[in-house]
Amino acid sequence: MNRIILTLCLLLLAVGATLAQRRISGVVTGSDGEPLIGATVLISGTNRGTATDINGKYTLDAPNEGGTIVVKYTGYASQEVVIGASNSIDIVLAEGAVLDEAVVVGYGTQQKRAITGTVATIKGTDMSQLPAQSFDQLLQGRAAGVNINIPNGVLNNPPVIRVRGINSINLSSIPLIVVDGVPTYTNQFSQNSAANNPLSSIDPNDIESVEVLKDAAASAIYGSRASAGVMLITTKRGKSGKTNVSYNAWASWTEATRVPEVLGAQDYVTIKNEAAANAKLSGPQYFLDSINGKMIDTRWADYIYQTGFSHNHNLSLNGGSDNTTYYLSLGYTNQEGMIIGNTFDRLNARLNFDHKVSKRIKVGGNVSYGQLNNSAPNTGSLEGQSFATAGIGRLAFVLAPVVDPYRYDSEGNRLPGTAGYNVANNALGVGKNKQATGFLNPMPVVDLNRHRSGGSQVQASAYGQLEIIKGLNYRLQYGIDNLNGENETFWHPFHGDGVSSNGRASNIYVKNNRWNLQNTLDFSRTFADDHNVSVLLGHEEQGTTTQGWGATRTSIADPFFSTYQGNFTTIDPTGNFQSENYLLSYFGRFNYGFANRFFLTANLRQDQYSAFSPGNQKGIFWGVSGGISLSEMGFWQNNSFLSKINYFKVRGSYGTVGNNAIGDFQSQYLYDSGLYGAAPTFVWTQAGNTDLSWETSKKTDVGFVFGLKNDRIQGEYTYFENLIDGLILFAPQSPSRGIPGNTIPINVGSMVNKGHEIGLDVVAVQSGKFTWKTRANITFMTNEVTELYNDSDILATTSGLETTNITREEYAVGSIYAVPTVGVNPDNGRRMFVKKDGTVVQYDHAGGATRWTRVDNGAAISAPSLVADGVVQGSALPKWFGGWDNKFTYDNFDLNIQVNYAGGNVIYNGSKAGLRDQRFWNNHLDVLDRWTEDNKDGSIPRVVFGDNISNGSAFAISENVEKGDFLRIRNITLGYKFSKIAGTSTSLRVYGNVTNAFLFTKYSGTDPEVSSNGNVNRAPGVDRNTVPMSRTYLVGINLNF
Amino acid sequence: MNTNIIKYPMALLLLLLAMGGTTTGCRKELLNALPENQLAEAVSFETPDRFVSLLNGIYAQCKQGNFLGSRYTVFTDVRGEEFLNETGNGVTGLQTWNHTVVESTNEVNNFWNAAYQTINSVNIYLDGAQANSRNLNNDALLKNYLGEARFIRALCYHNLVLLYCRPYLDGNGSNLGVPLRIKAERLAIDNDLARSTVAEVYNQILDDLNFAEANLPATPVSATIRAHKNAAIALKARVLLGMGRYGDVLTETNKLVPATAPFKAASGVAHELQASVKTVFTSYTTTESIFSFPFTTNNLPGTQNALGYYYNPAPRGNGEYSLNKAGIIGDSAAFAGNDDRRQFVLIHTNAKPYLNKFPAGPQSTDYAPILRYAEVLLNAAEAEARANGVNQRAVDLLNAVRTRSKGKAYAIADFADVNALTNAILKERRIEFLGEGLRNFDIMRLNNPFPAKSNVALIPSTSSTYIWPIPSGELQVNKLCERNP
Repeated sequence: MNRIILTLCLLLLAVGATLAQRRISGVVTGSDGEPLIGATVLISGTNRGTATDINGKYTLDAPNEGGTIVVKYTGYASQEVVIGASNSIDIVLAEGAVLDEAVVVGYGTQQKRAITGTVATIKGTDMSQLPAQSFDQLLQGRAAGVNINIPNGVLNNPPVIRVRGINSINLSSIPLIVVDGVPTYTNQFSQNSAANNPLSSIDPNDIESVEVLKDAAASAIYGSRASAGVMLITTKRGKSGKTNVSYNAWASWTEATRVPEVLGAQDYVTIKNEAAANAKLSGPQYFLDSINGKMIDTRWADYIYQTGFSHNHNLSLNGGSDNTTYYLSLGYTNQEGMIIGNTFDRLNARLNFDHKVSKRIKVGGNVSYGQLNNSAPNTGSLEGQSFATAGIGRLAFVLAPVVDPYRYDSEGNRLPGTAGYNVANNALGVGKNKQATGFLNPMPVVDLNRHRSGGSQVQASAYGQLEIIKGLNYRLQYGIDNLNGENETFWHPFHGDGVSSNGRASNIYVKNNRWNLQNTLDFSRTFADDHNVSVLLGHEEQGTTTQGWGATRTSIADPFFSTYQGNFTTIDPTGNFQSENYLLSYFGRFNYGFANRFFLTANLRQDQYSAFSPGNQKGIFWGVSGGISLSEMGFWQNNSFLSKINYFKVRGSYGTVGNNAIGDFQSQYLYDSGLYGAAPTFVWTQAGNTDLSWETSKKTDVGFVFGLKNDRIQGEYTYFENLIDGLILFAPQSPSRGIPGNTIPINVGSMVNKGHEIGLDVVAVQSGKFTWKTRANITFMTNEVTELYNDSDILATTSGLETTNITREEYAVGSIYAVPTVGVNPDNGRRMFVKKDGTVVQYDHAGGATRWTRVDNGAAISAPSLVADGVVQGSALPKWFGGWDNKFTYDNFDLNIQVNYAGGNVIYNGSKAGLRDQRFWNNHLDVLDRWTEDNKDGSIPRVVFGDNISNGSAFAISENVEKGDFLRIRNITLGYKFSKIAGTSTSLRVYGNVTNAFLFTKYSGTDPEVSSNGNVNRAPGVDRNTVPMSRTYLVGINLNF
Repeated sequence: MNTNIIKYPMALLLLLLAMGGTTTGCRKELLNALPENQLAEAVSFETPDRFVSLLNGIYAQCKQGNFLGSRYTVFTDVRGEEFLNETGNGVTGLQTWNHTVVESTNEVNNFWNAAYQTINSVNIYLDGAQANSRNLNNDALLKNYLGEARFIRALCYHNLVLLYCRPYLDGNGSNLGVPLRIKAERLAIDNDLARSTVAEVYNQILDDLNFAEANLPATPVSATIRAHKNAAIALKARVLLGMGRYGDVLTETNKLVPATAPFKAASGVAHELQASVKTVFTSYTTTESIFSFPFTTNNLPGTQNALGYYYNPAPRGNGEYSLNKAGIIGDSAAFAGNDDRRQFVLIHTNAKPYLNKFPAGPQSTDYAPILRYAEVLLNAAEAEARANGVNQRAVDLLNAVRTRSKGKAYAIADFADVNALTNAILKERRIEFLGEGLRNFDIMRLNNPFPAKSNVALIPSTSSTYIWPIPSGELQVNKLCERNP
């Protein structure tokens, strides 16, 4: 309405203008080609202007000579165009963040202008067209301070999400994820080898925006759960007007990248027999062989990795009347991974609706249902599974190339059934060789075994809202989030893990039920024109119950059966657990703004949480923040230099938030019951601590936001510091004390994260049909552990077997820890290690009782050890990371190049130890440069058969520590939008994409983002036996009508 | 249409809901939830049944896979010369087998942890059972239970001191032992505790066993799988043998072994040899088995944790270790082809010999043997020989075990001196207890070297790898704990 009045006024003014004029006209469109209705077009420096009509058209009287027009539209960067000779000027506006935009914050929205906390917004449109199983995989590099790692190429493996680093040592560092106001579940949900990220039940196409609350001011309203930051997921809602139908679909092909290069049969035989001779074994141990005249040279990776085909569809309807709006969406995706037997499928539906009952009453709700299936072989690539003998990631590079996976008849046909697999003694068949050739034959394991983790999730909520008096709104919301999972494992009795139980089927059902109730009272009013006040008071309760039950059946009655429901002779309970928690909270927020110049926000929340013992359940959290828009001040606007910066706001915040992500009954001393033969037992399994309480984060933020050239260039800078106190440490207890797990939880540690975030958002070129928008962010940060229990180091292992990380005072949490090595002794080809006192020692696997000797005098010496001689090798956490997003449009073409980068960290490349191991294991090509009498400067120690020490298989060595710096061309997307079919509103865009297109890194392992230990805080940056990352090629369409 | 008609009821409804939402009194109890499938410590000794369940829990901890349920038994055996590693798998004892363990090696930490967790459960039990004795209200039973707990503690300390410390013989127990924890440990205090001497640890073991002998029932509650008087005596004899106190070994074994054949325990459980040794490994609770840990289809040893998994090839196990042809099975003079115990040697399709003593797999329900009457007889024979020189009773005891399996009987004239006799007894132990976890004990208690095998060289008793290092986990936290040299 205002806009129409303004337009009329402007038109009246225009009519009364002078005669030295000409009439110009044109169309204002967005970069997607859609006309912008109601955009303001002004002659710069005058009051003359107009607004565009329903077709985006404007007509305006302009001076005969010179002059500039300024075009503005909410949600877009404004643009100035010099009036040239032509009377027709079409203008394309690029989308940009503007200050009047509403940003979703905790329990409400706020004008971007008034926000004094640190909030990053990621638009759903940035994510919906890309190949992924869950939206969180797509957030890489999109916001300053937010670092996302995809651990490897296993489908639906939960990414490691870190908002401003690791913010706890033992509790979760995954941000709280809130979907349309109801907190949801995160992290690995699977109970077997098929990865299952609960966030994958949400279709990325349904997401309108993701807001990341980073500082205390923004997140304190989430109190005890906000320590690791908060992500608010807002799904799409209906817009009144005609029904808009969208169909988005893509098809993709995915393949493995950077698969380790291992020896072929000939080289393998050479190396292993040389090693055997060096180990004084009698004669050659490995032999070249052939099948029906063809030499066996098995490239195991070719059997294990594939090109997986995937397709994805989403159909949505959105529309409504003035009083009722709706968004209805259906999605289906079916994806194949780069690993054989790895699949993901999801069926999902969503209805979001809002209805105005009367002027003062509004009701609405969301219902979302997602049903999904994940299947995978044992990849050895999920947390805790790195050393699984069936782990296919390792089998791909460790198996001997001199045997074939299959057995054939004399005609060269594969023998039928299980006789066709080359196996012996539950290991890969050895053929002519005298030594083992592999742990397992992966082919029968993949063909006959099954791991499925499926399930469904219902997220639903309803709200009612009443305007009591003008500006005072009461809102009630009740939501549920029920996540159910079915985990099915079947191990065939023929080969692999199922042999020792003669066939095994294990089913575990997991049920998470959550209810969430919120009452909020919100008052907002402007007094005396310039004083904007808003107050929010709230009450929230949330209850969650978690249950699991299941059983394992063993000794299959007949190999005919392959499901749990078939017949087996024994059954044992498995996966039984039962837990619950409850959170009761009161909170409030106060906002004050003065004349768009001064802003103040204060948040307060009290939480009571059931996991703590009575007396320690209550915690109070708060945050205050303030900002001053200097650019609104007279001195700024009157200063010729400063006024070039059209927007400048300084802001700062401080507050405390908590972390309550501990076990539901962690404060209690508990006994579990089991069996001793046939008799029931009680065994002490959990040491509690009745004094246990929150971890507290004290967060400080200062920074500024600016806009240049009418916001064509926008930027922000923030310095942040997060001091975390009372970290719950599972304080190490001397194992001789016999405390369960050798730990007792105590609030005792401290840690600090600090750093700088820089973000820039620039409309670099906007010239006629060509636009280039570029957005970049970078974060520099460090983590330092400042206090631990009794100054004791906390060592962490990869999959419980290999110690790789240390948490030590004055170093970053989970730093890489290894025994220093100094290359190969050119005199004898032995690996040289450095003991703590500086003594250089060397190892000879063939050395009998004197395997360890001093390099200087050859005297026998005891073996080095990680605890005694280990040295911190560096932080496993990137010290800098960020992303750079470029969007180009030309005419109907659009091109998006998205880059992300990180570095300053080190990675423990444990797979390298495996790739150089001198047991039967196949080796990386680099082993060809081993030390020999003729190659005394060889980089690899003299090969000795059976040697599991020299290259790091027995304990971590610095030889395997590498820098993790990288730059990745994460996405390249090229699209073409067809012109509208005349007389319809149908639009069609087709596009192609390459995900993980290029990687620039000196890291020699599979991928520098790797995380063998998933989300574990204390053991990041380890690459151990995982499958590599994938690269995906995609074609897609967006159809709207 | 008057919207007010709708508006006011709606507003009322919302307000009612809001009131419902804010009256949280009825949900406050959710803040004090207790687990439904785990027991709180405060009520752990509340009923007589829980006294038993907690005691069974101690046994269950002791027989976990990482301790006497299999791995300790297997790993210490494969330190010796009888087995060859077949899979090269670090998880299943490769480094133990080839003597390359370091203080951070998993088994070095795991055995220690498992032993001490069991020990602490005993310590907590001793405290808790006495403090809550009114709930049991039966002094005789209480004494039995305390005896059982202390029997297990002695078993744990004995296995620790055997592996992580110099043999008793080396300096008469004057070397560093292990930290001696005999108090209940619950809170985050007392991390630092220095190692006692080997002798001090042995004294504690003997003290526990003397208490156990005095308080245990003559016959166990469950045959073989719960401690009883004779089990304490048998274990004491083994401990004393390791200390070289041969006279005391005789004192103990004489409680179980009459002066002359037939050898059968006169009091308590009537222990005697079974007619066929094979019976002992298929019927687990005969009178020959003094103490064993049970496994059932509902209570299996778990992944990579069964004796049969290590020694039997597929499909009954995983063939982790084959028998060394250069070991005792290669000694056809002492271990003749017709010896019944040869039936435990299985020649597999790959032509390698494997030990088939634990044949139940793949569902490994074989009991894990701890104490067997045959050992008591051979302990008595050795003590008899070492204390009294070559004598008929020693030879008779040896022959009792040997001839039961068709081994050729020795005559006293076969032994030129006492060494010849003890060597024959030691050799008999290798044959009789192959795979039962006694080889390491027999090598180390006499300070003998670990013989060479395959491409693994001999380890002399002076080598730093002769005993295991103190685990990294302990050294890291227990600041008073010294490393082994």
